[in-house]
Amino acid sequence: MRKSYFAVSTLFFAVFSGTYAMAASNPDLEALQTEIRQMKQAYEKRISELENKLAKLTVAKTETTEMAQAAPDGGAGKKIHGNEFNPSIGVILNGKYSGFSSDSSNIAGFGVGEEGERGREGLGLDESALNFAGSIDDKFYGGLTVAVVREAGEDKVELEEAYVQTLSGAGLPQGLSVKAGRAFWTFGYLNEHHTHADDFADRPLPYRAFLNKAFNDDGLEVSYVLPTDLYTEVGGGVFRGDDFPLGNATGDGGGAWSAFARLGGDIGENKSWRLGAYLLSGESDGGRSSNEDAVTFIGDSDLYAADLRFTWAPTGNAREREVIVQGEYFRRNEDGSYEDTDAGTGAVAFDDSASGWYAQAVYKFLPQWRIGVRYSLLEAAGAPAGLAGSALDAEGHDPEATAVMLDWTNSEFSRVRLQYNHEELSRGQNDDQIMLQYIMSLGAHGAHTY
Amino acid sequence: MKSLLVATLIAGLALLAPVPASASAQVSVFACEPEWASLAEEIGGEMVETFAATNARQDPHYIRARPSLVAKMRKADLVVCSGGGLEAGWLPQLFQKAGNAKAQPGGNGYLMAADVVPVLEKSAALDRSMGDVHPEGNPHVHLNPHNILLVAKELSSRLKALDPANTAYYQKRYEEFSRHWQQAIGRWENQAAGLKGKGIITHHKAWSYLINWLGLNLVNTLEPKPGIPPSTRHLEDLLQQVRKVPVLAIVRTPYAPGEASEWLSEKSGVPAVVLPYTVGGEAGITDLFLLFERTLGRLRETADAQR
Ligand SMILES: [Zn+2]
Repeated sequence: MRKSYFAVSTLFFAVFSGTYAMAASNPDLEALQTEIRQMKQAYEKRISELENKLAKLTVAKTETTEMAQAAPDGGAGKKIHGNEFNPSIGVILNGKYSGFSSDSSNIAGFGVGEEGERGREGLGLDESALNFAGSIDDKFYGGLTVAVVREAGEDKVELEEAYVQTLSGAGLPQGLSVKAGRAFWTFGYLNEHHTHADDFADRPLPYRAFLNKAFNDDGLEVSYVLPTDLYTEVGGGVFRGDDFPLGNATGDGGGAWSAFARLGGDIGENKSWRLGAYLLSGESDGGRSSNEDAVTFIGDSDLYAADLRFTWAPTGNAREREVIVQGEYFRRNEDGSYEDTDAGTGAVAFDDSASGWYAQAVYKFLPQWRIGVRYSLLEAAGAPAGLAGSALDAEGHDPEATAVMLDWTNSEFSRVRLQYNHEELSRGQNDDQIMLQYIMSLGAHGAHTY
Repeated sequence: MKSLLVATLIAGLALLAPVPASASAQVSVFACEPEWASLAEEIGGEMVETFAATNARQDPHYIRARPSLVAKMRKADLVVCSGGGLEAGWLPQLFQKAGNAKAQPGGNGYLMAADVVPVLEKSAALDRSMGDVHPEGNPHVHLNPHNILLVAKELSSRLKALDPANTAYYQKRYEEFSRHWQQAIGRWENQAAGLKGKGIITHHKAWSYLINWLGLNLVNTLEPKPGIPPSTRHLEDLLQQVRKVPVLAIVRTPYAPGEASEWLSEKSGVPAVVLPYTVGGEAGITDLFLLFERTLGRLRETADAQR
């Protein structure tokens, strides 16, 4: 087993595996011995200090109360690690080769935003991101993420996140926190996470169709973790309403709101789960444009979502083996009007709902290797007569996609992934896709989110 | 859909009624690792309610900030962890999510063992080409019993500060523990005298403090670099090395995968030994005394068998 693993590892990713240094040389040993001597001296000093203190205690028992009132050692005991004065800095380097068998990639029946479209064919950089985060003071934490993306033949800088968040020292009631600015808000599972942390090289169909990859509007969100043994979190937010699934909310710039609730817990020592329900509601008075500005929706949208995630460490140690099963369901109600200028439909009244879901399973079968499979399905609203033949007419076809991936994680900071997709996004379309991707991070230690 | 949201909300609110704490437990302790949960019980006795976030089968470097841990963190009065970056991947997430004002960094409710003991392997120049190194030095501090004593002392003063009404109780328990522990250290150091200078190979640098305490000699690690699993090439190099230098044992934690050490053991004849590493690491290892008892016992048996 191990032999073949190493063979495969070498074969596929010989480029990425380095040569390893031999045993410690003599200078190293000497340095180690010096260090050990120093440590011993330090210990002896501390132990004698301790003995002195103990002796004092036994001599004068009255001192105990005094000692108890003294605050713990101001020096050593109060350091905050990883949160020193400078923010932590992380750089994400991300590149991909993609090959597609089909020329068309429209998702039938949906108005799809720029980031929801199929990626670029051939070799190319994916999102490269620069991230700064850290405690501002005892009450606030802040973060900024800037991504450079290639759109319409140009490198564009996008401000993905710029937020402040309360820390537990802010004096809010226990369990309550507030986040403001621009962020990947709480909505479903993937939305909160940066794409470089995803288990697949692209986002599943519902994220592409309903969220234009992710909802990161400007706004404010409050969340409250209840004092229960079962993890229970409730919250909600208000947003400007400029980002997908909304768009150009006119007027006071508070055109959208959200609510959510999450439950979670463990089953025994090795299994864990989380379940959530979400609502995002808002208006697109100024129009939400999609399909390269050909399709515009004006009206109200309510997007509902539910997510479930389950993790299982079959050997008890998730580092070694892990199974992750996850699924999300979305339903969008729209009330307003659609127009497709390419099809010359004019504004057509629209009041209907569309839905979609995906389910995926990822199995870490060796500490550095994972395989995964994902299925996504969308169900468009029935197009009213006025939209027949337009981009919003799915012609009774339900867009679907299947993905299979294999990835190799050298360390917590580097991953290489091979993925195959089969997509049938419109009637008669068949797209076989192959992707080879690397995701590397420089700097800050990655977070092991749930 | 709307009804699902409402149902979840109602389920959440129904649980809002706080669970009454049992009358005797005053301080709720969230321990990142079992060794600190055990120590908190030694010092806090029945005045503390202890929760261990990980067990001996789990690798404390790689824990997900899962929902159940957020719920526990939310209610903690005192958080006791190894610190020194061991929990860098998950502890900050828990703090951020739980919004717990009682146990925040810098306060009495936040105790990192690596902050109160002398830390080994601190290095000034670091580069990730050295692997997933711990930039603040080696955080696996609990395997030197002198460190346990230092943390016990700090833990007792934190408990006194958080629960002043029981100051005398904590002081008494600390003194008792300290006396027994120092006696045990004396005994262990006598027993282990014969181990001094013996070579060992470990899976990860999780054993540096034990090695340092007993005066063992770390010949090499199975991981070519911290956090990077053993490669065939590195194992072949190790085999050559083991043939030249006498090695007492190839030591690993209960959570480390066994293939590499078993392979090297088979090829070289050096015994592969799983030591409990922490409380619960083996059947019957229910406290810190038994942990050191068994660890030394196992090493001495191995040494005797080679005589
Ligand atoms: Zn480590």
